[in-house]
Amino acid sequence: MLKNTIIGLDKILFDDIPKGSVILVTGAEGTLKSGLVFSMMANFLSANDEHGLYVTLEQNLESHLRNMKSLGIKEEPNLHIFDYRDMRQEWMDSELDLIKTTGEVIDSFKEKYGNLTLFALDSLNALYSISDPGDMRKKIYNFFTHLRDEELTSFLIMESAQSRMSGQFTQLHQVEHFLADGTIELGMIEGKGGVKRYIQILKMRATKHAMEKHQLTIGDSGPNILGPIY
Amino acid sequence: MQNISNLFEFQEENCKKFIDRIIKSNREVFIMSSLVEKQMCGYDLIKEIFSSCDVFLSQGTVYPVLYTLESEGLLHAEYSKGDMRSKKYSLTPKGRKIAEKEIEDFSKALEQVSVLLSR
Repeated sequence: MLKNTIIGLDKILFDDIPKGSVILVTGAEGTLKSGLVFSMMANFLSANDEHGLYVTLEQNLESHLRNMKSLGIKEEPNLHIFDYRDMRQEWMDSELDLIKTTGEVIDSFKEKYGNLTLFALDSLNALYSISDPGDMRKKIYNFFTHLRDEELTSFLIMESAQSRMSGQFTQLHQVEHFLADGTIELGMIEGKGGVKRYIQILKMRATKHAMEKHQLTIGDSGPNILGPIY
Repeated sequence: MQNISNLFEFQEENCKKFIDRIIKSNREVFIMSSLVEKQMCGYDLIKEIFSSCDVFLSQGTVYPVLYTLESEGLLHAEYSKGDMRSKKYSLTPKGRKIAEKEIEDFSKALEQVSVLLSR
């Protein structure tokens, strides 16, 4: 369903991503994680009568849209953006169970728009940093189960810098990689021609895909994937 | 005496359970109804519905309704002067018309259900 949403995506994805897959999109800051996911969702929804939900914990709605516009990505009416700014300003973080709340937000949008088929969370790191760490592994397992039960093709964005941290985050990240159906890594490589962004599919269950790193650039209308970067 | 008091408690609990279900599954009507008289933020709305109906609508079920009603042009949102922390919602003229109609239809539906049950 998403194979043709980005120019060049078919260079790395030979089959389509099965509906209801939960995919991690990892990478350091500035590697276009949000732009790639938002662009895939917006392009898919502009051609289909379905709805998507993009939940952002890192930015508010206005700044997220501003960033997307600067990348040439158009706003799509069926792609709903929900930010936690108001909720977090009005309630203490301790009063909010954001994993449970995110599940309820999904259910509310699903109730309103029956054909909600795409979901993105930006980002898992932010969700962890403001969530009660107790029973986190169980909560994450239940969250993944919820996404699958709702048959949502989901993108969970994860800043990879934190995966180098020791302790709980590292363990949690292992759980997510294990639970996810796919992992897309974005990064930067410094070579003779300067710094280049790349995209690499590390894992995609039930889907044939390339293993090589491919160059990721920004075109007039969002991210484009070029040939192998080697 | 103890049994009668238990029965009343049971009836009250059972009644509360139905009210809880009715409000939660029709929260859009209750949210719009709460905004007929005054503008409120999500926090105020949750507190208001809890204090008047003894039903807690969770944050994850209220804020998405506010978002969708605003995007449909039924609610107007603004940050109140001197308090940038809370986004106050009020009904737009279009929203007020729809809210009044929804409240009327919802009340009629409840009456009809009551008549059906008392046959």
